[in-house]
Amino acid sequence: MEQIHPLTLLFAAIFTNNILLTNFLGLCPFLSMSKGKKSALGMGAAVVFVMASTTALNNLVHYKILIPLGLEHFRYIVFIVVIAAFVQLVEMTVERFFPPLYYSLGVFLPLITVNCAIFGASLFMIIREYNFVQSLAYGAGSGIGWMLAILTISAIREKLQKSSKLPRGLEGPAITLIITGLLALAFLAFSGMIRVQ
Amino acid sequence: MKKQALSIVYMFLITLFFASLVSAVKFLNEAKIEANQIVKLQRIILKVLNIPVRETISNDDLTRLFTAQIKDIQTGGKILYIGYEEDGRTIRGYAVPVGGPGFWGPIEGMVGVTPDAAKVIALAFYKHNETPGLGGRITEDWFSDQFKGLPLYPIEGGQNIFYLTMEGTQKAANELDAITGATNTSSAVEVFLNQDLDYFLRELWGSIKEKE
Amino acid sequence: MPNLPGKKDIFLMGLWKDNPVLRQILGICSTLAVTNLMVNTLVMNVGLIFTVCMSSLTVSLLRNYTPMRIRMMVQTLIIASYVIIVDILIKAYMPDISEALGPYVALIITNCIIMGRCESFARHNPPGASLVDGLGMSLGYSLVLITIAIIREPLGFGTLLGLRILPEGFVHWTIMIMAPGAFFTLGFLVWIFKYFQPRFEDKEKK
Repeated sequence: MEQIHPLTLLFAAIFTNNILLTNFLGLCPFLSMSKGKKSALGMGAAVVFVMASTTALNNLVHYKILIPLGLEHFRYIVFIVVIAAFVQLVEMTVERFFPPLYYSLGVFLPLITVNCAIFGASLFMIIREYNFVQSLAYGAGSGIGWMLAILTISAIREKLQKSSKLPRGLEGPAITLIITGLLALAFLAFSGMIRVQ
Repeated sequence: MKKQALSIVYMFLITLFFASLVSAVKFLNEAKIEANQIVKLQRIILKVLNIPVRETISNDDLTRLFTAQIKDIQTGGKILYIGYEEDGRTIRGYAVPVGGPGFWGPIEGMVGVTPDAAKVIALAFYKHNETPGLGGRITEDWFSDQFKGLPLYPIEGGQNIFYLTMEGTQKAANELDAITGATNTSSAVEVFLNQDLDYFLRELWGSIKEKE
Repeated sequence: MPNLPGKKDIFLMGLWKDNPVLRQILGICSTLAVTNLMVNTLVMNVGLIFTVCMSSLTVSLLRNYTPMRIRMMVQTLIIASYVIIVDILIKAYMPDISEALGPYVALIITNCIIMGRCESFARHNPPGASLVDGLGMSLGYSLVLITIAIIREPLGFGTLLGLRILPEGFVHWTIMIMAPGAFFTLGFLVWIFKYFQPRFEDKEKK
C-alpha cells in the first residue's frame, strides 16, 4: 500500500481537511472569546508549535512505547498527559529564556491544553495510521490550518462589530457559527486541488 | 512537605484504581472485539465470492461455513483466499485483499475474482474513514455492484482496468459511476484498485497457480 | 447560607435555561460532527450521559479527599477512564457505529461540558445533587443534538434512523451532511434560542 506523501498531507491539512472547518475541532475556546486578530495570531502560533510537536511525540509514544508494552488502551490518558506536560515544559522554557515572548504568547499556553484540536490531531493520527514524518506534517498542517481559520473568522468578526448592528440573538456565538459555516463552504472549493497520489 | 507527599500518594492510589478498572473492562471485552473483526472479514470474503449467507446467521455458523469452504494462501506478502464449492474441491474463485490511501485514511477491501482470473465476481470495502454519505458510499451496493463481472486484464499502455467517471458520462464498458460529491475518494479508489488488481494479475496469479 | 436550589431546579437548569450547548456554548465539536446521522447522535448521547453522570458522581464523592492542587489532574483521569470504558463497550457491542463515530467518542474527554460540571458543580456539591446536575446537562445536550439531527439527516439523506421518510424524488441537500450545513444549523438554533431566552439572570432581576 502506498503512503501519502508528507507534503501532500501538510497541504491537505491546511486546506481540504482543515481540522476546524471539516472536523469541527478547536472551536470551543474561540466561540467564548471575542478578542480580535492579535490574540488569534498569538494563539495560532502557539497551536501550530504545540500541535506539530505533540502529534509527532504521541506517534512515537504510541508505536514505540505503548504498543510494545501492550498498553494501547491507555493511549487517551497518555496522550493528554503528554500534551499537558509538553505545554507546561514549553511555558517554563519560554518564561525562563525568552521573557518578551512569554509576555505576548505565554497566556495562551494554558488555554491550549484544553483545546480539543490538539488532542484530536493525535487521535486522527492514530486512526489514519500515519508514521512519524507524516505525523509531523499532519500536526504542523493542522495547526496552520486552524490558525488560518481562526484568523479569518476573527478578522470578519472585527469588521462586523465596527459596522452594522445585528438582529437580537444573533450576536456572539450564533453569528460566529454562521460565519464559520460560510468559511467552511468556501474551503470546500479547495477539494479539487489535492490529488492523493 | 507533608501536603505534597499526601498529594502524590492520593494521585497514585486514584491512578491505580482507575487503571485497574479500565484494564478490567478491556480484559472482559477483548475477546469479543477481536471476534468482531474476524467475523467481519469472514463475512466480506464470503460476500465477494458470492457464497450466499443468511442475514440472520449466527457468528458461529458463519465461521463454520467459512472454514468449510475457504482456505487461505500466502503469497507475495499478502494473504489471499481460495473459495471452494460445497464439494470442497472445485474452485469457486479467489478473494484478493485490496487497499490504499483514501481521502481521509486507509481504505481496505476485498475483490473476488473468477477461477480463471478473467472477471470480477464482486467487490466490497470493509474499512475506511471517508465522510459518511459521501466518500463513505463506497460501501453501498449500487457502487460495488458496478464491478460485478468486470473483465480483468493487466494494465498495458496506460489502459486502466476501469475508470470512475462522472455520473451519466460513461462511454465505454469499463467506465463506472464515481460518487457525486466525493471526487477525492473516487480518484483514490480508482488509483489503488487498478494498481492492486494489476499487481494480482501480474505477480500473485502466477504463484497461486504454481502452488496448486 | 444561601438557599440551595432544589433537585428539580438543578435538573431544569441544565435542560433548558443554562443549556450547555445553546447557552454555555460548550461541547460544540461533537455536536457538529455526529449529527448528520440520528443513530450516531443517539449513541453519542448515551456515551455522554454516562460519562457526565459517572464523572460528576465520582468527583463529588471524592470532593472532600482530593487535594486542591491536583484536582484538575484527578478530574481528567476520572473522565478519561470512563470515556475509555465507553469506547471499549461501543467497540465490542456496536462495531460499525464505533467506526462511524471515529475519534469523537474519545473526544468526549475534552468535551468542555464534563470538565465544566466537575469544576463548577460536582466539586462543591453532594453526590445526589451532582448526579442530577450531570443528568440535566447531558439531557439538555442530547435534546439539542437530536434536534439538529432531525434537521440534518432527512434533508441530507432523506432518511431518519436509516428509514426513508422523504419521497424518492427528493433531491438531497448534500450540504447538510457536510461541515457547512452543521455550522449553519447550529448557528440558527443558537440564534433562535437566544432570541426567546435572554439571559435568565436579567429576567430574575426584574
